[in-house]
Amino acid sequence: MKEVIIDSLGEACPVPLVKAQNALKEMEVGDVLIVQIDHSCAMKNVPEWARKEGHNVEIEEVDDAEWEVIIEKTK
Amino acid sequence: MSETTNTNSSGSISTTRRRNRAPRKPKKNMIPVGLAAALVFVIIGILLAQRSAMLGFFWMTGIAFGFVLQRARFCFTASMRDPYLTGGTSLTRAVLIAFALTTIGFTAIKYGYFAKGLPIPGMSYVVPISLATLVGAFMFGIGMVIAGGCASGTLMRVGEGFFMQVLALVFFVVGSLWGAHDFEMWKYLFISKGKSVFLPDIFGWSGAVFVQLLLIAVLYVVALKWEQKKSNH
Repeated sequence: MKEVIIDSLGEACPVPLVKAQNALKEMEVGDVLIVQIDHSCAMKNVPEWARKEGHNVEIEEVDDAEWEVIIEKTK
Repeated sequence: MSETTNTNSSGSISTTRRRNRAPRKPKKNMIPVGLAAALVFVIIGILLAQRSAMLGFFWMTGIAFGFVLQRARFCFTASMRDPYLTGGTSLTRAVLIAFALTTIGFTAIKYGYFAKGLPIPGMSYVVPISLATLVGAFMFGIGMVIAGGCASGTLMRVGEGFFMQVLALVFFVVGSLWGAHDFEMWKYLFISKGKSVFLPDIFGWSGAVFVQLLLIAVLYVVALKWEQKKSNH
């Protein structure tokens, strides 16, 4: 199992999502992608997109207004 | 990037993750800060209301709008961008529902004035549509996607303390002032050449509501079909 971390701190709304989409495309089933986000809008649309694609998603607020979206690629 | 030897991939995300992370520092209790902020809001509200009732009202509605936008994460930018980017249209449909509600509400207000023979409020916003509308909307669309927020979204996230969007706000102000400065020229050269349309003049009051709601309903169905098509690829 591989673990990829994307540091998207300080980046505005669509950037974390696009980075996550591109990174996940390169990954194998079972790999875990961690997106670090501090933008409240991206905190909503990254998990929403990943869940709709059918991946396992967990969100953790690591600090005030700083989140890690943990995506396990399932297909 | 880090490699782990764990091959058990089913449902063990959080346990694997927590093992190699430093313990999270305890959260500060934000309730006293919130209460102090609320007190400051009330005091400023009272001071503003003493100067002018309208200022106090704007202060209150501004804070209320900001709060709703922030909690609801109602992002107009995402509503226009996500159908293309992710195929998700939940925000697009939320905006369409909001349009439908405002259609009914504003028609009720305007018709109320019209029925009493009073001048209809807000008619100064019935302005000509022309190529300028299209070009302007397209430019605004590019700008808001680059800035990561439209007008309300940028303001809301500046309030959240997202620093990059303070930059967007500065140029939002610069652009608005520049636009206001040159507006008469644009109006003379392009906007006044268009035709202004007030739907009730064409379809009648109930007809206008019906046509607009029908259009919104069609867009809603299209958005729903688009999302289904995109997620079943």
